[in-house]
Amino acid sequence: MRTERDNPYAVETRALTKLYGGRAAVRHLDLQVREGQIYGFIGRNGAGKSTTLKMISGLARPTEGDIRLFGKPVSDPVIRRRLGVLIESAGLYANLTARQNVMMKAKCIGLADEASVDTVLSQTGLSDAGKKKVKHFSMGMKQRLGVALALLGNPDLLILDEPINGLDPEGIRELRQLVLDLNEEGKTILISSHILGELSKISTNYGIIKDGQLMEQITREELEEKCQDYFQIRVADVKRALPLIQEHFPALQPKVQDDQSIRIYGLAEGSRINQILIENQVPVYESGFHRMDLEEYFLNRMEGGTVNV
Amino acid sequence: MFNLLRMDLYRVIRSKSLYVCFGILLLMVFTAFGLWYVVVSPQGLELLASLENGGNVQLTGLSKALEELDFLMLFRQICLDGGMYNLMLGIFVMLFVCADFQKGFIKNVMAFHQNRWNYVGSKLLTAAIVDACYLVGMLAVSLVLNQVLGQLVSPSPWQDLVFYMTWVWLLTTAFSALIILLCVLTRSVAVGAVAAVLLGSGLVVTLVYGLLDLLHLNGWLEYTIYLTMSMGPGHFASAGDLKVYAVGAGFLALYTVLTGIFLNKKDI
Repeated sequence: MRTERDNPYAVETRALTKLYGGRAAVRHLDLQVREGQIYGFIGRNGAGKSTTLKMISGLARPTEGDIRLFGKPVSDPVIRRRLGVLIESAGLYANLTARQNVMMKAKCIGLADEASVDTVLSQTGLSDAGKKKVKHFSMGMKQRLGVALALLGNPDLLILDEPINGLDPEGIRELRQLVLDLNEEGKTILISSHILGELSKISTNYGIIKDGQLMEQITREELEEKCQDYFQIRVADVKRALPLIQEHFPALQPKVQDDQSIRIYGLAEGSRINQILIENQVPVYESGFHRMDLEEYFLNRMEGGTVNV
Repeated sequence: MFNLLRMDLYRVIRSKSLYVCFGILLLMVFTAFGLWYVVVSPQGLELLASLENGGNVQLTGLSKALEELDFLMLFRQICLDGGMYNLMLGIFVMLFVCADFQKGFIKNVMAFHQNRWNYVGSKLLTAAIVDACYLVGMLAVSLVLNQVLGQLVSPSPWQDLVFYMTWVWLLTTAFSALIILLCVLTRSVAVGAVAAVLLGSGLVVTLVYGLLDLLHLNGWLEYTIYLTMSMGPGHFASAGDLKVYAVGAGFLALYTVLTGIFLNKKDI
């Protein structure tokens, strides 16, 4: 049975580098997004996310390296038809209506069918606002219109850079559902956001970028495993502590971290473990529950690298 | 490229600046013909004669000059030779092109069209189409006004009109290409506006021409767009008159190539 890992790459970069006046905004980035994934691209401000997405979208030329979309060069005009892009703020003409902006894009990409204009407006909840001029739109509506523009032409790959900026909670929920629905249809989505909580609800894979370099690419399952709640104890003698825990708590999954630390997964309450160890003259220096979400994992990677993970 | 052209034409017909600029040009046409009508009316001629008899040297021979004026000469004087037409056309082109960058819609375009020459070609064709519409519109209104006001000036041969309109269209399109180049280079409305005013009105060329005249080094300036337009022939007399086409085509090609080169070098 074919798994996601067998899917070909929708996006693949090799040693992607972008220099601005000698300073590397992106350095030797090897990013892979398989078809059918929702890839959450995470990084601090100035980490290189937008620069990377601009290069993939063809808006910026790489200094070095290679980009392939669906196995073909990024400059291939046939491949560009399979791409929908929303980079930073939505580029809109304020004096035109929402429908006219979408019509502009439709003509730009050679779409003769006007029904697709109404379809994307409907998908993004802008059917009723089609005749309203964009200058009267709220920021959230403008962002939704930007997503509508990206959806025009039924692209197979969507690149969304901070799409939920300016959206209210309802708008965020609608966009989240839209992304999930599009992914259900088979679309690949490469999405960046600062709001890690939202990304964690939809992404199947993550890429973490820091100072222009890709720190890590990780699946949701791997992340869940790394972020799994655990009870950590620091003891004087791990070699004595571990057998005691395994003997008294056979259902638990203890993992030795180093010569003093043990993590125990699947534990609801930790006082009993402390008691067992103390009764068996194994000094316990420190113990407590640790819960990590995507945000904490990300911060750990930014600050401590692999040391704190 | 033709998809981009369709997109640009869709936006052009919905842009206010297209109609505002054309309105200003038509206002000048109406004003010029109106003033002309006053001058050549019986009352106007009487006033002119009294001023001449009063010893106003500047008006001596004006009446005679008026009789020698034909339609094409008047049409050129209204706004083309003086640079006003280029100024208005330049303002429109600047607003049209800069809007792509200011509003960010260029991202939607360039994410799909990797070949940036298509963008340049589309903008140029749009400018050329608008230019042709403006020129033909102004010519048509002028012809009608001349007829309605009782042939204020004598008509010009249609061959002369066609000859003049084709080369002036080429030159003004070349000027549009220059404005497109500056807009792509700077992406600035301010720079585009200043360029349209200074270059379109001929202020820069006139100034440089005057300065270089002191050193007798200004001959080559006759091949600039502004001076070619001002001094270009009204009718085809010899092969030498075709140099206006060469000037127009040359500048058009130069500015188009430069625009393409700079657009390819810069990130969006």
